Amino acid sequence: MTALLEAHDLTRSFEVSQGMFKARRKLHAVNGISLDIRKGEVLGIVGESGCGKSTLARMLLGLLPPTEGGITLDGTDIRSLGRKGMARRVQPVFQDPYSSLNPRRTVASIVALPLEVHGIGTAAERRKQALGILDKVGLPQRFADRYPRELSGGQRQRVAIARALVMNPEVVVCDEPTSALDVSVQSQILNLLMDLRRDLGLTYVFISHNLAVVEHIATRVAVMYLGRVVELAETEALFRTPRHPYTKALLASVLTPEPGQGIPETGLGLAFPDPLNPPSGCPFHPRCPARISQCSTTVPRLLQFGRDAVACHLHDAGQSIPSPSDDGATMRHSLPLPQKRKQSE
Amino acid sequence: MSETILDVDGLSVDIATPRGALHAVRDISFSVKRGETLCLVGESGCGKSMTSLAIMDLLPKAATRTARRLTFADEDLGKASRKRVNALRGDRMAMIFQEPMTALNPAYTIGNQLVEAYRQHRNASEAEAREQAVHLLDKVGIASAAQRLGQYPHQLSGGLRQRVMIAMALMCGPDLLIADEPTTALDVTIQAQILRLLADLQRELGIAMVLITHDLGIVARIADRVAVMYAGQIVEEGPTASLFANPRHPYTQGLIDCIPVPGRTVPGGRLGTIPGVVPSLVGEIRGCSFRDRCSHARDICAATVPLKETADGHQWRCILENAV
Repeated sequence: MTALLEAHDLTRSFEVSQGMFKARRKLHAVNGISLDIRKGEVLGIVGESGCGKSTLARMLLGLLPPTEGGITLDGTDIRSLGRKGMARRVQPVFQDPYSSLNPRRTVASIVALPLEVHGIGTAAERRKQALGILDKVGLPQRFADRYPRELSGGQRQRVAIARALVMNPEVVVCDEPTSALDVSVQSQILNLLMDLRRDLGLTYVFISHNLAVVEHIATRVAVMYLGRVVELAETEALFRTPRHPYTKALLASVLTPEPGQGIPETGLGLAFPDPLNPPSGCPFHPRCPARISQCSTTVPRLLQFGRDAVACHLHDAGQSIPSPSDDGATMRHSLPLPQKRKQSE
Repeated sequence: MSETILDVDGLSVDIATPRGALHAVRDISFSVKRGETLCLVGESGCGKSMTSLAIMDLLPKAATRTARRLTFADEDLGKASRKRVNALRGDRMAMIFQEPMTALNPAYTIGNQLVEAYRQHRNASEAEAREQAVHLLDKVGIASAAQRLGQYPHQLSGGLRQRVMIAMALMCGPDLLIADEPTTALDVTIQAQILRLLADLQRELGIAMVLITHDLGIVARIADRVAVMYAGQIVEEGPTASLFANPRHPYTQGLIDCIPVPGRTVPGGRLGTIPGVVPSLVGEIRGCSFRDRCSHARDICAATVPLKETADGHQWRCILENAV
């Protein structure tokens, strides 16, 4: 598989006001991320709020210029493609189908708008194309002249997907596409996204905080923490043998509907990641149950393990890699294994 | 420890709308014992939050509550005066809301807010109340609790704010705790921590807990019993293990099939779906409200739906004995 969309050492910082009399401070939302998104894959990006996953998505879409680093699409710098050239090939689906659709336009005209902007076809041709794509996302013709307010959340998200696909893009960046939906609707949208990928040969960047959903849909997963990718691996390998302590904690926190297993202990303590005051060294070290001395002083580099990568001192050469038994009782991670509820102390 | 704290029988909530009464909650019955956790689970609009507000007598003005019986520790809440309900609420019946940022007052320190209700209900001195506040912040795992009292909600992270909410709910040592989506606004790692804390405190203090959620994963891990709500009704209720191992109602079955489970569902495989949409709850509703979306529906489903029950207290409203 060749890299279709590539991020090279991508950094984005924002100036954040601290109040009227205080100096503005720099917030590094994305901090030196290099990623390659290969043709035909679904790259899942997971992480908690404030980890920079949406900022990364906006940069990959060409909607937000990076402060440092760059993005290439098929080897071409996206800056030379221009906004329109980029929009033809990379399209977004956002989280909230209530705010991402223009309430004053009908469904068909929302879906046809990208064609209009790019000056493709006549009005009649555009409508025909819009109806075709609406049909593909499971919205029959009778919806074409309705307004978004007449639709349910799931139907709105179908409209958003149709709008993204009407230009025949190569990459679709889905930013939490099912987070605002009920579970029964979420499964419909996930099924739809998988069908469309198969039928249209799409490449997805799939951003979510829901690990179970990512495990289901992604072929490869990047785990982000405070603006950095801390682990990158094939989905199956990541869920079977996570390397980074943060990945382990994330996986342990997934509450599968299996009664009798109790609520897992993540071992993370009370420290909370603050993007404005990132800790020295490894950004995860204040919460990490397996931290060692250099974690608070040195930022771990991204180590390659074949096609996978992890940024953790525990895995760095020269460090002894702890055997599974050293992992501690709180770090049990592999999901299918039973996790007994620890008795309250 | 089998004393019933909350007993709800035939609770209904109707909301007046220009198009007629919207039956948000329709004739639901359940009870919760001391030391027990009951989860109300369902999708948006199923009436689960209205149920909790009805119990706490916090319904919006347009909503009316009716019930055959609504008792809290053998006291009839239907007949209780407003003053009496105010005295119970925040004291022996406490509630935790989804979004701690909106539930906490941004203009007061958390110390002020923790102390206020305790002094109100317990007629305690400022010093006693602060001592209790420090004790509880400590209990919910907040370090250097005494210093935290002087902080404002915006100075705390989401996880800490929810811990403060829990501490506040526990200030007066309630018998009943209603938690409405307590972790929905939180990150997954924080969610696990908060749920563990709730479960541990609930067990330790022997509180009866009603936890409202849309997340079957949370339900499976924390509930003793589960009530599945659909279109304002409880369509299935039973012990957690029994309900997950043997869901009887097609809706419950459908919900469970919708969720991807790592290690169980095939990655990239098709997930179950529930076709169609929830019916309107305005006006008269007859028969099974799920029948339009149900693959097992027959003509008889448009008439009244039987309530079935097994020996272990697993109940469901369906013509089927077992969901297929």
